[in-house]
Amino acid sequence: MPKVVYVDDAGEERAVDASAGESVMSAAVRAGVPGIIGECGGCLSCGTCHVWVREEYLDQVGEVGDMEDDLLDLAVGDRRAGSRLSCQIEVTPQLDGLTVDVPGEQVV
Amino acid sequence: MLRTEINELLTQTGPGTKMGALFRRFWQPVLLAEELPADDCPPVRVKILSERLIAFRDSEGRYGLMDEFCAHRGVSLWFGRNEEGGLRCPYHGWKYDYTGQAIEVPSEPETSNFCANVKLKSYPLVKRGDVLWAYFGDPEAQPPLPEWEFVTVPEGQAFTSKRFQECNWLQALEGGIDSSHVTFLHSGSLDSDPLFKGSKGNAYNRADLKPFFEVVDYEGGLLIAARRSAEEGHYYWRVTPWVLPNFTMVPPRADHPMHGHFWVPIDDENCWAWSFDYHPTRQLDSEEVAAMKAGLGVHSANDENYRPLANKDNDYLMDRDAQRRGETYSGIKGIALQDSSLQESMGPIVDRTKERLVATDAGIIKARQKLRKAALALAENGVEPAGNRAQDQKVRSVAVVLPADQSFVDGIGEAMIAKPGVPQTTV
Repeated sequence: MPKVVYVDDAGEERAVDASAGESVMSAAVRAGVPGIIGECGGCLSCGTCHVWVREEYLDQVGEVGDMEDDLLDLAVGDRRAGSRLSCQIEVTPQLDGLTVDVPGEQVV
Repeated sequence: MLRTEINELLTQTGPGTKMGALFRRFWQPVLLAEELPADDCPPVRVKILSERLIAFRDSEGRYGLMDEFCAHRGVSLWFGRNEEGGLRCPYHGWKYDYTGQAIEVPSEPETSNFCANVKLKSYPLVKRGDVLWAYFGDPEAQPPLPEWEFVTVPEGQAFTSKRFQECNWLQALEGGIDSSHVTFLHSGSLDSDPLFKGSKGNAYNRADLKPFFEVVDYEGGLLIAARRSAEEGHYYWRVTPWVLPNFTMVPPRADHPMHGHFWVPIDDENCWAWSFDYHPTRQLDSEEVAAMKAGLGVHSANDENYRPLANKDNDYLMDRDAQRRGETYSGIKGIALQDSSLQESMGPIVDRTKERLVATDAGIIKARQKLRKAALALAENGVEPAGNRAQDQKVRSVAVVLPADQSFVDGIGEAMIAKPGVPQTTV
């Protein structure tokens, strides 16, 4: 099973066994990772699953979608180069070890 | 949810604000033509985009829109004498022409050149359809006159009203691009309002509580399409155009006149909800006009200042029995007041950091982003916004039933383009 590593704002790492095909958001919600809410369940309307993808993985997680781009502009606290909505990143075997930083707060 | 600074960016439209600068790139409806009905009629106070202005019609029928206050010592020119080609301040007789130029300062010596140097801030004000339109921006960037179909159809085919709404313009606009609420809030009115009833779409509207939204870029704004289930293998699509910054149209029902709105900021806590009805190919009949004047359809029954008779001071004449019986879903009578009662209840400027958006809010998210980008592009790079070209404004709403496997963009073809003499596409 591919692992996804979530790092909180204190630097604490938490590795979650994820299933290929699920999203980085749903793996986090299932495992109870604090800070990833996923309120809308992946419908692209809330922006509460924001993460910063570590630079070394950025070219492997696909492009930011159109609606995702809007939500990152409008609804997240600190958009950076690695900002993604984790509901839009699909876990694959190749992504094993994917590391993302989780904001201290999803809403500002 | 929306970040605080973006909520402020989008909701503040006074002088010096970025969204205010965006609004000042567009002709905006300012008065109904009936408010200045005759040459030398009484002047009318106008507050728009947080500016206080006075409008008048001079002895030759020219419309003037200028600073409300006399340049001398700040008296309101609403008290002025509108006579012999200008508006005269009643305090010391200073007189201004329709461009705001002082043309007489009677206390000064004959030889004085003083009044040539006094000019009030003024804006062009022109009649188009039943509406007086003004442009508040850089004269160099003044766009062509409005081409909206409701002001270009032959006389007798359109009816326009306005109502005072006590909330920020954006929460009013957001109601106009949110088809989802129709299924709930307006469900009681769809089959009783004479300007809505008799459409097959009403049944689809009421039956499907979970419309799917698809939003696409279109010319000067967006097409916001709400898809609901129809007969087996078919979908009912309601397509709402939004054109920057504040024009929306309601998808049509049967052969009723089509309707839409402008949401015009008065200041940051109030707006004018302009409501228009028109039929692209025929005269409005006397029953339709009577219903519109009575405040049915998208219109409202108002006092002499265009404030609805049902307003927040009387709890919008809430009728709990009608709510219980399901005659009206919210207990408020009339589609227009059903909307404005709830939008006003959110407070003058709703705190969008606290909202919880859902999938049916896709049009709202897209419109906010487009407004934000347009305001920033204008402020930072001087990029002129879309929405002023004739093709941006020659737009219509559409209601249509399509096979389930057909995209709405393919299915509507050119139905959203307003073409003279061509009827609307409606269900």
